[in-house]
Amino acid sequence: MRRFTYYEPESLKEAIALLEKNGETARLLAGGTDLIVEIKQEKKSPDHLVSLRRIPGLQEMDFSDGELCIGAMVTHRMIEKAELIRDKYSLLADAVDNLGSVQVRNVATIGGNICNAAPSADTAAPLVALGARLVVEGPAGERQIPIDEFFKGPGKTDLGAGEILRCIRIPALPQGAGSCYIKHARRKAMDLPLLGIAVIIVPDANMVCREARIALSLAGPKPFRAEQAEAFVTGKPLSEEVWKQAGEIAVGESNPRSSFRTTAAYRRKMIGTLIPRAAAVSLQRVNRAWMKG
Amino acid sequence: MAKTLEPKTKEMEFTSIGQRVPKLDAWDKVQGKTMYIHDVKLPRMLHGKILWSKYAHARIVSIDTSKAEQLPGVRAVITGYNTPEIRCGFIKDNPVLKKDKVRQYRDEVAAVAADTPEIAEEAIKLIDVVYEELPGVFDPEEAMQEGAPLIHEDKGSNVLKLPWKMICGDVEEGRKQADYIVEETYKLPFVTHCCLGTSGCIAQFDAKGNLTVYSPTQIRYLAQKDFQEALNALGLKGKKVKVIQTAIGGGFGSKLDTYPFEFITILLAYYTGRPVKLVYSREEEFFASPGRQPVRAKISQGCTKEGKLTFRDVEMILDNGAYTSWGATTPSVMMMPISSLYQVPNIRYVAKCVHTNNIYSTAMRGYGNPQATFAIESQLDTLAEKAGIDPWEFRMINRNKPGEITPQKFEVGSCGMKECLEAVKEKLQWDEKRGKGNGRGVGIASLIHVGGGARIYKSDGCGTILKLDDFGKVSLLTSASDMGQGSETVLAQIVAEELGLHVEDVDVIMKDTNLEIWDAGAHASRSTFVAGNSALYAARKAKEEILEFAATMLKEPKENLYLRDRMLYSRNNPEVSMTIDKLLRAAHFRTNGRQIVVSEFYDPPTQMLDREMKGNFSAAYTYGVHGVEVEVDKETGQIKILKMVIAMDVGRAINPMAVEGQLEGGGAMGLGYSLMEELHLEKGKVLNGNFLDYKIMTFPDMPPIESVIVETYDEKGPFGAKGIGEPPLVGSAPAIANAVWDALGVRIRELPITPEKIVAALEGKKGS
Amino acid sequence: MAVKISFKLNGEDVSINVDDHVTLMDMLREEFDLFGAKEGCGYGECGSCTVLVDDKAVNSCLMLAVAVNGRSVLTIEGLAGPRGELDPLQKSFVEKGAVQCGFCTPGMIMSAKALLLEKPCPTEEEIRKGMAGNLCRCTGYAKIVEAIKAASERGCSCGKDS
Repeated sequence: MRRFTYYEPESLKEAIALLEKNGETARLLAGGTDLIVEIKQEKKSPDHLVSLRRIPGLQEMDFSDGELCIGAMVTHRMIEKAELIRDKYSLLADAVDNLGSVQVRNVATIGGNICNAAPSADTAAPLVALGARLVVEGPAGERQIPIDEFFKGPGKTDLGAGEILRCIRIPALPQGAGSCYIKHARRKAMDLPLLGIAVIIVPDANMVCREARIALSLAGPKPFRAEQAEAFVTGKPLSEEVWKQAGEIAVGESNPRSSFRTTAAYRRKMIGTLIPRAAAVSLQRVNRAWMKG
Repeated sequence: MAKTLEPKTKEMEFTSIGQRVPKLDAWDKVQGKTMYIHDVKLPRMLHGKILWSKYAHARIVSIDTSKAEQLPGVRAVITGYNTPEIRCGFIKDNPVLKKDKVRQYRDEVAAVAADTPEIAEEAIKLIDVVYEELPGVFDPEEAMQEGAPLIHEDKGSNVLKLPWKMICGDVEEGRKQADYIVEETYKLPFVTHCCLGTSGCIAQFDAKGNLTVYSPTQIRYLAQKDFQEALNALGLKGKKVKVIQTAIGGGFGSKLDTYPFEFITILLAYYTGRPVKLVYSREEEFFASPGRQPVRAKISQGCTKEGKLTFRDVEMILDNGAYTSWGATTPSVMMMPISSLYQVPNIRYVAKCVHTNNIYSTAMRGYGNPQATFAIESQLDTLAEKAGIDPWEFRMINRNKPGEITPQKFEVGSCGMKECLEAVKEKLQWDEKRGKGNGRGVGIASLIHVGGGARIYKSDGCGTILKLDDFGKVSLLTSASDMGQGSETVLAQIVAEELGLHVEDVDVIMKDTNLEIWDAGAHASRSTFVAGNSALYAARKAKEEILEFAATMLKEPKENLYLRDRMLYSRNNPEVSMTIDKLLRAAHFRTNGRQIVVSEFYDPPTQMLDREMKGNFSAAYTYGVHGVEVEVDKETGQIKILKMVIAMDVGRAINPMAVEGQLEGGGAMGLGYSLMEELHLEKGKVLNGNFLDYKIMTFPDMPPIESVIVETYDEKGPFGAKGIGEPPLVGSAPAIANAVWDALGVRIRELPITPEKIVAALEGKKGS
Repeated sequence: MAVKISFKLNGEDVSINVDDHVTLMDMLREEFDLFGAKEGCGYGECGSCTVLVDDKAVNSCLMLAVAVNGRSVLTIEGLAGPRGELDPLQKSFVEKGAVQCGFCTPGMIMSAKALLLEKPCPTEEEIRKGMAGNLCRCTGYAKIVEAIKAASERGCSCGKDS
């Protein structure tokens, strides 16, 4: 592997200074499960690696005032095991549940998953559906970026020079929401999704859809909300038929590509097929959540 | 679950045979103590690295190695221009370092030996090669057309001159006799072994110019011969070659030939005068280690109203890639199921191996059999349906029987096909589950494979040396190879049984061409049968010597004496008993005494295929049946394997745990081949050379596999055993395709059976 | 640049100078002659290099050696007891036929160790999910699952049939 210098700064300020000093030749190291591979493959060739592992606070999860804040260095394994996330943000638990292996989840972080901006990132669609905001710190101080503005395309984000993702803020879901993420992949484990489908449903007492969110990954160049499908469902009774139609509308909003992994036609068909399924699971979870409450 | 047999060669119960003996080398393996090629370090060892071609087809205009040579730590840079020509492959069409032109992306253009792997890698990048790209051809059918770019100009054609044609009976007559005929085309993809340990070797010359190669090869002795030829090319005639086998991190056929990287390592060691190690990265393993050959098969079969098969007619085109290794000879094994799976009187088989600019292929578990059986067994279901006969009944009607002679002149000894079919039918609950449609279905497929060696070379032999020491322990020097399948354990069980010792009394040595005799290699599922018989006959010789000595010493008739539990006993005289170690010491420490050392070279009683491709080329045949139950999601096309049953006639299970290991492992590999494995090539370039995108089965993907061991006791096998290494993957794919047909009424004729194909087939069915 | 790091390796305190870019796997193999962690892929896709860092399974091919400074690393070589008595997992891998070519075995056992440390009596489904990052091409996994179950029964007191 290429030689580089490794740093373990103990504050964000120090890390930002290192990034500023070394410019393009520096990269941030979170869990490293993507970056180390990319360095080995010579897709990336940094001279300086700035590890975030000693910076206090980045590995913390905090739930207060109904808002969840996940530090950038929180591992997928920590999220997987967090009862609170399983209960309240089921779709995020779904996403980390089957991401890579235990070995990968033990070190790979949610911040890394997002900042790497791979179209296949499992947490992307759920975070888009959740309307997450990314808290970023840089030379000019702190700013917050809505997640759908953060992704700029495969491997590209809105992060500027010297900026570091500190945490991900997830607003509370409305009372009685149910959610689900379906990772459609060939294998049951150790696979990238061919398609990622995140759905959040908020029904009213008569099971009419008060609010629906549908976020898709690998259905276009970057994760997005299927807004027309969402609008179609909102205000309608939550029937299978309605969701089937919503699925078809979402197909129309998508622009998946073909590769050796699968065809665009199959991806399109699966968008139409899996959105109703994700909705059905979400709905079950609504009921379960109510029973619990 | 094994059907128990009465031991036929003994008057007593076996002590070692039939026991679930743990693998002898497992203790080291679970402690990380086993040395694979990756772990071997020699003093002053250098590290080799290969520069691969940048094009699928191009002329090499020039190679400039000067910058690489100047890099500190670089000890040698070699190309086809500064080394003598060495060619490999069985028709020697593969120069180990390419000159003038490259024919595939994995062509070796130059190589480096350096102090560290990092320096070697850096040096490779400093080699400047100027290419002039040539038009390539990547489809075998296009490569057969006139005017297609020639891969090897000197061959005059892209079609290899190989004798792959077999006629038995009269196919035209068979067509006339048929009341029903089905004709279809099947397509099989490129797949690859995915041994967890990548390929590699270490070469070292001694001061006298003799060569030692450390290698995880499956063919120590054939490799020794190939390396000897390399020494001749270097002008080192008369120098010796020794191959030391390191632990094999998975074989499956991948290490059945010698490859350019091994000769390159030898050259680097020669020019540097130091040991050189070259090990593939995983990426290199995917594109540079040859895999299983892609096949297009046009097949037709016919049967009478009663369901008797009347003919089978198969034409195949194999994508041979740019060079020739064992992949090009797989038709010789495809002939076996084509001629001899079920009783078929009239057969025609023609296969063409065609050069393309794709990567080339070698042997892989099943050796052509999985491709041929997929076509035959998938089509049988269609034919049965046409004839209105239940597919299981249809197979029973046409099944092979013990003692028959097949149209290819195979002399079938034991044959448990009926027992396997019956077992699978019962385990699958065939009658209740079949024909329900609605997304759930069952399917079966049978198979035949060589189970008693295969006379590919003029010798199919294997040697054994047994040395009995003064403590009642045995050194078993065998030329067999173990790549995980458990041969060393099985051989120790055979010897222990015969000598009345315990398995732990036997030390198995299988590693060094200087120590052991000769063997054709770990292929053709032959080790238990051929090496097993070799060990058994050696043990009999040793036993004979022991008993003879004991008879004289104890003045007891020899025929009354027997060995058991480390003791000598007499059947007639309860007074006679002595420990074997004491007996061995008595035989040794006396005037004219000696330690008992015996050797045996066993070559099975078989024939090479004649010019018509006929002859009894194995001493026994293994039969088996795969059964699966699937549930298919009609919307997503995803297949869930609910159950997989593999019933195999193994003759006798010398070690049932090891047999189950073969069945479960072969089943997993077969499921991968059926459902998800495919090496994607785009204009000759591998697109998915990693474990994320080349998908093998993972823990959660594996369904429960039920192993059914059928024991038919083959008279020629050691204690009745037949080979079982390859068969467990052979029938997986057609069984799944047949189950998918039963579930959905769509026929998938191309592997892998992906959700995309199922969805497309269902849409096609809706549309029609 | 070489950095001095100190960590616990198989129960012993060690210190070593290591280059920044060296992976944990390469350090274990090259500097400590611990060959149990194998490079099956180098990309974290096969699990053959699995070791435990602070009792958690990681792919040592993707972790930088410098990142284990101050932590505790357990490799297959440190699993057996002081007199060489095998860990229950090692024992059951031998007895149940869970080993064939053996290349994946050390990583497999280390993953299983992490699994049992966290969950002494896992269900079959939990075993399969927890072990998903370890590929084996020889066994079809069935006997490995059996071995892990057997080891967990040995070390587990909850009395549950798994």
